[in-house]
Amino acid sequence: MKVIVAIKQVPERDAQVRVDAAGKWIEESGFQWSMNESDAYALEEALQLKEKNGGEVVVLSAGPERVGSTIREALAKGADRGIQVESDGLGDWDALGVAKLLAEAARSENADLVLTGLQSDDLGYGQTGVIVAELLGLPHASLILHVEKTDAGLTVKRELEEGWFQSIELPMPAALTIQSGGNKLRYATLMGIKKAKTKEVRKTTPAELGVTAPAVVTLNQIAQPKKQKTTQMLSGGPKEAAAALVEKLKTEARVL
Amino acid sequence: MFSLHSTLAEPAGFQLWEKFLFSALIATSAWLFWQRFGVVLKKIFEAKKDADFRLAPLGRRVWDFFSEVMLQSKVIKQRPLPGLAHAFVFWGFCAFALVTLNHAAVGFGIGFLSPDGLFGRFYFYFAAAFALTCAVGIAGLFVRRFLVRPRWLGEHLSWESGFIAFLIFALMVTYLAQFFVPEGSTAVHVLWWAHTLTILVFLPIIPHTKHLHLVLSPATVFLSRGGFSQIPPLVGDEDFGLIAGTDLTQLATLQAYSCVECGRCTEHCPAANTGKALNPKEIVLGLRGYLNEYGPKGEEPLLGKYNSQEAVFQCTTCGSCEFQCPVGIEHLPLIIGMRRGTVNTGEWDDEHGAKLFLALERGSNALGIATAERDKFIEKAALPLFDGSQEYCLWLGCMGAYDPKGREIVADFARVMRYLGTSFGVLRKEKCTGDPVRRLGNDLVFQQLAESNLEAMTRAKVKKIVTICPHCVRTMAEDWKEFGVAPEVEHHSEFMARHLDRLPKATEKETVVYHDPCYLGRYRNVYEQPRDVVRAGGTLVEAERHGERSFCCGAGGGLAFLGEETGERVSHVRAAELAATGAKTVGTACPFCNSMFRDAFAAQGESAPQLVDIAQLTARRLPEVTTSATQ
Repeated sequence: MKVIVAIKQVPERDAQVRVDAAGKWIEESGFQWSMNESDAYALEEALQLKEKNGGEVVVLSAGPERVGSTIREALAKGADRGIQVESDGLGDWDALGVAKLLAEAARSENADLVLTGLQSDDLGYGQTGVIVAELLGLPHASLILHVEKTDAGLTVKRELEEGWFQSIELPMPAALTIQSGGNKLRYATLMGIKKAKTKEVRKTTPAELGVTAPAVVTLNQIAQPKKQKTTQMLSGGPKEAAAALVEKLKTEARVL
Repeated sequence: MFSLHSTLAEPAGFQLWEKFLFSALIATSAWLFWQRFGVVLKKIFEAKKDADFRLAPLGRRVWDFFSEVMLQSKVIKQRPLPGLAHAFVFWGFCAFALVTLNHAAVGFGIGFLSPDGLFGRFYFYFAAAFALTCAVGIAGLFVRRFLVRPRWLGEHLSWESGFIAFLIFALMVTYLAQFFVPEGSTAVHVLWWAHTLTILVFLPIIPHTKHLHLVLSPATVFLSRGGFSQIPPLVGDEDFGLIAGTDLTQLATLQAYSCVECGRCTEHCPAANTGKALNPKEIVLGLRGYLNEYGPKGEEPLLGKYNSQEAVFQCTTCGSCEFQCPVGIEHLPLIIGMRRGTVNTGEWDDEHGAKLFLALERGSNALGIATAERDKFIEKAALPLFDGSQEYCLWLGCMGAYDPKGREIVADFARVMRYLGTSFGVLRKEKCTGDPVRRLGNDLVFQQLAESNLEAMTRAKVKKIVTICPHCVRTMAEDWKEFGVAPEVEHHSEFMARHLDRLPKATEKETVVYHDPCYLGRYRNVYEQPRDVVRAGGTLVEAERHGERSFCCGAGGGLAFLGEETGERVSHVRAAELAATGAKTVGTACPFCNSMFRDAFAAQGESAPQLVDIAQLTARRLPEVTTSATQ
């Protein structure tokens, strides 16, 4: 079973984001980068599938040179080889453009399964994986927590709202977008990093893949959200306050 | 009868057959000795070389040997009565070397010490004095082992120890008796043979039992790595720590065979004392068992038949075992080495451990909190940023930056520094020093953190660091050495102790029990400075276990981040001990200890003593300022 995992490198979770001078992208200097969280779960799912069924895990990432470190991280965790679509300034490409890059890079691999995270931690479009499936002409399902290989194809566990799950059967090959939290992530190890040094990373470019900058969606401006804080103080004794809190959690916050 | 004019009666006129018999017995005894000792020696030499071994500094080695072996300083200091008894036996053996050599020579008619000669006469009396103390010593040890039976010697009675004690006693008696028998009598002859046979039986028993330490431990003490918990660097691309026999080095093998099973390590181990699987003595004996079965070329995993992963991960790295060990065994490199072997290869599967590793792979702190929270705290507490112009970089550490109580401690220590007029600043960004991952054996993350921090400090031109956390101090000062040169670093207790004369004295003195953090005491040898700080603000009382023998709070070795303990909680045991002193206040000097006791005292309810860091104890006496901020 050959699984391709498309991974995005995003700013470190608690990086302080500043808008750059042009107002179209963020100031990247001095940033630390890490693997997009739901992509990390997609990788974990792929590695577990390989451990159970054998085969190969190929990681695929598009971006500037720095993306190489995230590919290495994936190789260190157990992926077998990597493909990097090297290009500066993908920041203002829309989801369709990036999906084209990934789909073209994946096409010749003829993988049984293409996995990617549900959405990116930085832009959060939630579209890239779905478009990749469409471009490759593969059946797809989104919000997947667990994948199992069956004789007929795949059985996947899909997250619905309000704590409901759905079990779906799909033929293979297929493309899935993976939700965070379905598995426990493995930690990177020294042995993994050392092994990763000898693993192959193939580099390609948008030009080689025949993909040019798209303009379906143009980015006009990005801005910091305005800070706003509304604190409500609940009055009364512990009993009344607790009852009021539960009511608010149910009706206003809608977490209960 | 015996008088001061008595001399030692030496036999003479041995028959030829006696000489032959004696020769044959010596050969048999030596052969039996070598049968086992040769095997052990071969295993030690066959083991992997210690890549980082340096004979220098020789002075330290010679001193350790003189103090710990010749003077038996550690043996006596840590267990005075049995220690002294042991020392008498040891010194007796040393004094007897010449007598025994002469004794054998006499059998061949070539004795070189004459009871009539000046030196011979002196030496026989000299040895007799040692024989007496040695006999008393071994009798005492016999009584202790078989009648008093302290529990750390193990439940199983060691009959071989009893037999050895009998042999040593017999040696002394047969020697001393020679002063009381008339020259030339048959009794002289009989005593000579009795003494000889005892020696010849004793010799082969040595390598077959824990008495192997007689031969090995002087070398183990001399060759030990020194320092404290010195974790050897990994060498080459195939070294991930201690996985199989092939990873055990010559030092590790020598140490495994040197264990005398005295159980001092067990006696002081927080895990062994709270009902956990870990027993440091069994770790060492487990390695010995492994070496006996598979040898240093063994491919079998070390964690399996002889040692368990569970036990290895219950160690708080408090270092009591290594500190106590009288034969130079360095437990921490062994225990951490086995953790490395399983973590660096991804074998260790632990939910909390993986969470900690991921937090430090991706984020900056062991608590997994957003760094923005640290920025908020710095702003709220009005801590100046380090810009290279200040004298000190105040290192916050994970606890100081993210833990509510840790923040209070930092804020109070900052007040102390301000009062003293010492300039300081905090770094805009900090990453965990890597202490928990270092102790848990994750070399990848440790290296990343050490290198990233070292680089940041060089960039910021940091010269001197002061911090409230002993774990940070130790990790920066010792463990980072592998990757670069850290700035000079000290613990806030050392800083405050140096400036005590400029700080206000307490008017009302409360009773304060001071808890020694392992990483400040045993790891850094800082015992007095924090006590001086406490004395300036209160009346110091000591817990039953304190100083070098202080009992761990349970947080070290990365355990603060792992799941629920089995057995009793180490922190509860220690907290109860501190409370039992009746002191109004518990003074800590480590934010991890503080956090552990906070939970333990909370479980204890209202009767619990007040818990403060020594920086807070000091800050209380400072005049009020309007802009004090915490959290």
